[in-house]
Amino acid sequence: MKLVDKFTLWFISVIVITTPITSYICLNNIEKKIDDVEIARLKAVNEHTAARLGNGVAPGQLRDTSPTVVTQLAALPNDSVLIRKDPDPDGNRHSLESRLTVNSYYTVNGKHYEVSSSNYIPASRQILNAILDTVAWKLLLIVLCVGLSARFLSQHILHTLRQTMKKIHGFDLKKKIAFPETNTVEFKELNTFLKKMTDKAVDEYTAVKEFSENASHELQTPLAVLRGKLELLSESDIDEGQAALIADMHHAVEKLSKINRSLILLSKLENNEFVVSEHIKFCRVARDVLAAYEDRLEMKNIQVKRDLDKNILLKIHPVLADMLMNNLLGNAIRHNIQDGTIELILTHKKLVIKNTGLPPETPPEELFERFRKSNQCSESVGLGLAIVKQICEVCDFRVSYHYKAPLHILQVDFCPDSVINEAAQDKFEAAEMQSA
Amino acid sequence: MKVLVVEDNKEIASSIHDFLVREGYICELAYCFDEAQEKLLLYSYDCVLLDIMLPDGNGLELLKFMKEKGIQSGVLIISAKDAMDDKIRGLEGGGDDYITKPFHLPELHARLRAIYRRKQLSGSNIVTFNEITLNTDTLEATVHGSLLDITRKEFDLLLYLVVNKNRVLSRQSIATHLWGDYTDNLANFDFVYQHIKNLRKKISAANGADYIDTVYGLGYKFNSSKT
Repeated sequence: MKLVDKFTLWFISVIVITTPITSYICLNNIEKKIDDVEIARLKAVNEHTAARLGNGVAPGQLRDTSPTVVTQLAALPNDSVLIRKDPDPDGNRHSLESRLTVNSYYTVNGKHYEVSSSNYIPASRQILNAILDTVAWKLLLIVLCVGLSARFLSQHILHTLRQTMKKIHGFDLKKKIAFPETNTVEFKELNTFLKKMTDKAVDEYTAVKEFSENASHELQTPLAVLRGKLELLSESDIDEGQAALIADMHHAVEKLSKINRSLILLSKLENNEFVVSEHIKFCRVARDVLAAYEDRLEMKNIQVKRDLDKNILLKIHPVLADMLMNNLLGNAIRHNIQDGTIELILTHKKLVIKNTGLPPETPPEELFERFRKSNQCSESVGLGLAIVKQICEVCDFRVSYHYKAPLHILQVDFCPDSVINEAAQDKFEAAEMQSA
Repeated sequence: MKVLVVEDNKEIASSIHDFLVREGYICELAYCFDEAQEKLLLYSYDCVLLDIMLPDGNGLELLKFMKEKGIQSGVLIISAKDAMDDKIRGLEGGGDDYITKPFHLPELHARLRAIYRRKQLSGSNIVTFNEITLNTDTLEATVHGSLLDITRKEFDLLLYLVVNKNRVLSRQSIATHLWGDYTDNLANFDFVYQHIKNLRKKISAANGADYIDTVYGLGYKFNSSKT
């Protein structure tokens, strides 16, 4: 429900609740006022009559225009004035008027008189009807006005909020956003808060990005120095013991530079620096990577069973596709046993790599974490699967691992949006032919 | 061959310098943009090793400058930036090759030789050492005139060894040269041993001398003093 609708509903229900109460008060007030005015007038009439009685006019001659009756009484009652209201003077229940009678008591020339005047005033039911009519019109008008003006007003007042929301929707970590000016205090506060938050996010993102860039440069250079010096040292006149030491150092430097490169890659992935805009033939990537690993497969005498569908167009950055395939296949080879097997299945929906190997020592869900590796191979850096996971996250794929003795099964489910279907494929190929 | 090294890091520059001098090259050093510009104007070099990030300018500017002045030296870009965009920018800007830090010196040497071959020897593709001849164009290797049946990887390996003869090549540097980025995934370098073994077998089968020495713990060396 929209904010403006909520406000309108609330407002209308308040009016609906208060209207009967106010109508009741209104009815009472009008009635009382009419009564008071009428009583005052009738009293005056009675006074006038009494005055005429005092002047020696006989009671019988007093009946002129107004329905005033003069009666002689034996004694005066306690009250000097008696007011009687008769709601049903006609005797039926639907009289349009009520009769108001004012009896005044006077002593004129030693005689006691009762002067009684009466008049007809609108029945309270009539007043009520009039009020109900008014209330009905009033309600209708209010609902209409509130409904329309609230909408119009919300367009105007909530305009800033809507704009702010639009800006937030399109927020990109790479640049700061400017929020619209407003004079509403709450929106001003909201905008200031959002501005602070997004600016901080942008700043932090830039800092992280800068760090990863600096890290690459600043760490690669000393590593290059170390490596160069070690290489020069290894060519000088050294004995076997020294050679072994140098080899170990070489190894450590190598590993350090590998970790460095992998971490930089991970941060690049997390920063979404690989924007995907085109589809590539993933089957071709798979074949190429497989070919590149041929010699290593041969060395371990691993049988490869491949079941690759043709024409699989996947929306993925070419570098990432290469890396994904490399990491997965590299893992399958590294963790394999001598004379093992690898099964590679690639369809439009998924990529599955099954390989033989020793049973895993780490729980499967931990394998995708950084620096997590099974002990079989302490040589590896332990970032391969973390990179795979990050690539899958960037591309909206789902990666899972499970072990079903004796096979390790790694499965990557492609998201349906990123695979081009058969119909679109022809179009793609035509475009490719044209551009070629 | 005369080489100019434009590199702001003195340590790396001196490593490269020592390495190239040992190889018998004439090697000049420039630590900043201005110095490099001056040297390029005054002297001519066969090849320039160019760092992209210099304290007082961008290496790419230097490439532009060289193009404007019609300086014909080959350019090998050395950079810590390994993003694809940087590589593309460097190569399209006029670089002949691009190598990222940290690199192995023999790898640098091999690439330098490759640029030299292409640029100065007008694309002569034959590398010869005694009875061994390598044709980098057709990827054919012959020993005493008879063709060796070797794989692409073995060819690259032999070429790498011959170009860096009498130099200790660590298994890592061989792996990086042959497999490039793929080595990130490799647990050990046994497969280098395997390739060397095959290569030795094939050369001796063609009655070639066994020039490849194993340097204990470190790697291999193509020993040219053997006959």
